[in-house]
This record gives sequence, structure tokens and C-alpha cells, in this order.
Amino acid sequence: MTTPLTDAVLAMDEAGALQIVKDRLDAGEAPEAVLDDAKGAMTILGDRFACEEVFIPELIMGGEIMKGIATELKPRITADASAETRGTVVIGTVHGDIHDIGKDVVCMMLEVSGYEVHDLGIDVPVEKFVAAIDEFRPEVVGLSGLLTLAFDAMKDTIEGIAAAGKRDQVKVMIGGSPVDEQVCIYTAADGWGRDAAAALRLAAEWTASAAG
Amino acid sequence: MSTDIQPGELAAQRLKLFEDAVALRKPERVPLMPLALQYFHTRVAGVSDKDAGYDAQLNFSCLRDATTRFGWDWVPGMAVPPSRSLEALGSKQIRWPGGDLPDDVQFQWVEGEYLKADEYDALLADPTRFTLHTLWPRLASAFGVLGELPLPPAWWMNTMYMPLAWGALLGQPKMTALFEALAEMSRDAGAFMAAFGRFMGEMAGMGYPVAFVGVTKVPFDIVSDDYRGLRGSTTDLFRQPDKLHALMGMLTPMAIGQGIGAFKGSGNPRVFIPLHRGAAGFLSDEQFATYYWPGLKAVIYALIEAGVTPCPFFEGDYTPRLKYLAELPPGKIAAHFDRMDRAKFKEACGDVLTYWGDVPGSLMVTGTPAEVKDYVKRLIDDFGDTGGLIIDGANSITEEAKPENVMALREAVDEYGVD
Repeated sequence: MTTPLTDAVLAMDEAGALQIVKDRLDAGEAPEAVLDDAKGAMTILGDRFACEEVFIPELIMGGEIMKGIATELKPRITADASAETRGTVVIGTVHGDIHDIGKDVVCMMLEVSGYEVHDLGIDVPVEKFVAAIDEFRPEVVGLSGLLTLAFDAMKDTIEGIAAAGKRDQVKVMIGGSPVDEQVCIYTAADGWGRDAAAALRLAAEWTASAAG
Repeated sequence: MSTDIQPGELAAQRLKLFEDAVALRKPERVPLMPLALQYFHTRVAGVSDKDAGYDAQLNFSCLRDATTRFGWDWVPGMAVPPSRSLEALGSKQIRWPGGDLPDDVQFQWVEGEYLKADEYDALLADPTRFTLHTLWPRLASAFGVLGELPLPPAWWMNTMYMPLAWGALLGQPKMTALFEALAEMSRDAGAFMAAFGRFMGEMAGMGYPVAFVGVTKVPFDIVSDDYRGLRGSTTDLFRQPDKLHALMGMLTPMAIGQGIGAFKGSGNPRVFIPLHRGAAGFLSDEQFATYYWPGLKAVIYALIEAGVTPCPFFEGDYTPRLKYLAELPPGKIAAHFDRMDRAKFKEACGDVLTYWGDVPGSLMVTGTPAEVKDYVKRLIDDFGDTGGLIIDGANSITEEAKPENVMALREAVDEYGVD
């Protein structure tokens, strides 16, 4: 179900969306309800991205509009909205690789789709992934890399997680332009993808089966 | 090819393999021509990434050795920037081994919003001043002073008060420091260029052409990679499309001039054009048609017009863009592909573009020589009968490719690439 707010977000009408938010607040509507609508729009955007109806520009622009809406609403939301998440994902670009664009898009995609995402950044050492698994108890770990050097770094990281006795606690997905089935086998990851939509599919599959 | 012929003739024979492929004629043998290397040739010689960047002479000798050892039909482009120059400039945009990266990690480029969202007008109004005063200080610390000083307008530097104007500017101690940094870079770059010149002479003496010298880019990539970053450029599609178009309009002749100038300066007609944001997934079909394709097409047509053989590297998957690529002039472009639906390519562009690249990095890194040979055989089965095929890794030969797999490329073209 769409509302004028979701329509405006999906049309990438930033000024229109922010105006609707202001108008609804001025009319006395609860900010939580407005935020829910905006989040709903982002979920639709994520679905459209997954089926290649929209692409990276819409995803990034949608995220920007959402940021603006959240800035408007945050000060007015008093109750600690302990929103339900679809699952927890720890993600980072593996050691030796400093590329972040692909990873950032995956993070945004997962966040708008309702996941709690812990982004460890770039050039992430194996120990940091292991520590993050301890700290955040994720269902999914995402390893990103753009360079072929990342293949060995991904393999190292997955071996490090196994050596720490945590391999059974998480599903590991690897992603990035040079990644394919062969790299997935080489690194002993549970799944692979080249884009954010693939990451979302894997996360959805794994968190659904973890819940079920 | 026999070895008792003159080097010049040998080089011409090797180049003819490439030229035949570009013209979509069937060459004498399917050529094996890696587009560009970063550290494969140095690592295989046991040289650290740090030394590869700091010692041009050593780097080029490794490139010579790899070219002959692995049986390449030309010398690939060498795509590692000289580290001492980066150091002298205090580059913030490129990180390098022996700089703030470990000795055995390849150099990497840091994308950023170097042009802020509200700075289009300033850049468009006076690109030189904006570049000197605002952009360069963001890219390299040596240029910091240019951002601190109140740069006078250009006309003031041309008047009868010229000595006063120049003195006030150049007399500053921080400017002296900048010129010292530039002098250091100039010496390093000069040594690099001299080493490259000697190397080209040596390779010519051995009968090897050099892949390319010149590089240019297409307008949307210049904005997205070098000015605004992915986030900035993609939000500009919605927030300020007119300014984005205006900047691309300004950059188009500059990009063309860069390619043609490199050809005229070097005499090498092959100009490398790395392509980034045009790949599947980045832009919708409509966005590609509006923002990416016109600039790509303008650059390619103008280069061809000037006698250049454009060598665009279509990084990523360009299958969804085939209908556009099919419009390009046939037999003029050395198109290098990363990933592609081959059947669709052949149908749409088989009589327009070369099919160069494709052998997956994952196979080169984790596969066996038999698998690599089999892969090349299938490429030759698909394309070898019609010409236009050039063998190379999808991303050329990456650092982690196994040497035996790189050797297998040559074995495969010898075995399957000759009638």
C-alpha cells in the first residue's frame, strides 16, 4: 500500500517528500507513523532494486532522502523504538583491499531492508571479524573485495573464523566484481554475489532459515 | 614467426595480429595481448610491490622478462604510478606500497567527493582557478599552499605590474616549498620517462610493439570517479542534472584532446579508455542513454576521426548495453571485455567490435592450466572463425594469476588459434 509519502520517495522527489513529512507533523500526526511510511518506501525501493527495476542511483538517492526524513523526525521520536530487525549482518572489505563502494551499497541495501548492519570498514583484519562475531552475534558475515588479492584474504578470514570455533555460528557471503562460484569454492564461503541484490537474497534466505 | 627476421618486421608482424583482429579479419594466429599490468610481472620475478613502484628500471626489466617468458605478442601497458612522485606530491588520492600501505599490497585509489555538491558553478565558471585553488589541495598535500593563498585573478599576472604580482605570489616561503616538491617530482618523473624510453627502445629492438601509451576517459566517469564520487554523481542525476550535463559538456572536448594529444605526442595510435560506471547495475538503461552513452560515443568517434584506435576496457558486465555498442563504427575499435554474454555479443556486435579479454580472474588465480586452456579453446571455438578475437584475462593479467595459468594462455593460442 502506498501513501503520498511513499510515492514521493519512490519518485525521488526529495523536496516533495520532506514537505509531506512537515505537513503531516504539523497536522499532529505521530512521527513514528511517518517514519514507518518512509521505511516502507525504502523496502519497496529495495525490492525494485532486487528485481532490477531501479539501480544504484535510486538506491543512493533513496538513502539520502531517508536521511533527510530521519533528521526531521528523530528529535520528535521520544520512545525508544526498539524496531524489530530481520537479522544481524557483520560486513567489511577484507584485509589488503580498501575499496568501499560496493560494500557501502550492500550496507545501505541491507539497512533499508530492515537488517541490523555492523560495517567494519575497509582493509579489515581477520581478528576484527572474529571479534565482531563475538560482539554482535550476527547470522550473516559479508566479506567484500574488488581486487583478486581479496580471494586469499577472504579465504584467510573464513579460515580465521573457523579457527576461532565460530564457523558454525554464521553464514558467510563473499561479494565483489571478480567473485564467482569458483572463488566461493576456493574460499569455502556459503554463498557469493556480485551486487547488492544478491547480498540481500542470501541474507534473506539465511535469516529466514535461521528463524524457521 | 621465425627469429632471423629484422626486429622492425617482427614488430610489424605482431602488430598485424592486433590490427587484423581490430579490423575483424582473421589473423594468422589468435593474438595473445594483455592490455595492462600492475604487479603480475614484478611479483613473478620476486620483486616487492614497493620496489615495483620505486624502481622504474627494475619494473621495466621485469616487464620485458614477463613479455618474452609468457609469449605475449606485445608489451602490455604498465599501470603502476611512480611512487617517489606520489611521495613528493603527498598524494591523498592514491595510496601506495611503501607509502602508507604495506610493501606487498598493490597501490589503490581513493574515491572521494573531491568536488562538493555546491561547487559546480565555481568549477564551470573558472576551471583553472578552481582546480588550482580548491581541487589540487584536496588531492595532494604539496598543493595545500594553493588553497591557503589568496590567488590573484589571472589578468593581474599579465599587467605592467607583472613582476610585482608574480613576486607577491612566488615570494612566499610556502610557494618555495611547493616548487621544491614539484622539482623533486619532476626529477623522479623524468627518470621514469627516461627508463620507459630506454625500455621501449629495447623492446623495439626485440621486435615487440608496446600496447598503448595514451589514456583518456569518458565524461561521466571523469565526473563520477574523479570529481564527485559514486554517491555525489548519482545524487546529482536527481538533484542537479543540468549542472552535471554542463560539466560533462565542458569535459568532453578535454577528454578527446587528451586522447588525441597522447597519440600525437607518442606516435602510438592505441589509446586506452578505462570505463567504469557504464557497466550493468550502476545505471538504468535510461540513465545510461542520457548520461553515459553520449559522452562515450563522442570520445570514441572523435578519436577514430583523428586516427586513433580506441581501446575501451568495458569493466564489469556490459551485456545490457549491447544495443548501444552495436551503433559504433565496425572494425575500428579494440574493445576489451570483462564479463559478457558471448552469444548475445556475437549476435549484436560480432561484426562491429573485437572480443578481447574475458578469461575470468578467478580461473587464472584458482584454476588449473588445463582449465585455462579449455576456456581459451571455447573462446576460439566461438570467435576464432570470424576474427576479432584477442586473448587476455577479463581484467588483463592480475597480480595473483598463477604463472602456469598465464603460460597456458600462450599454449592455448598456439594449439587452437592457428588453422
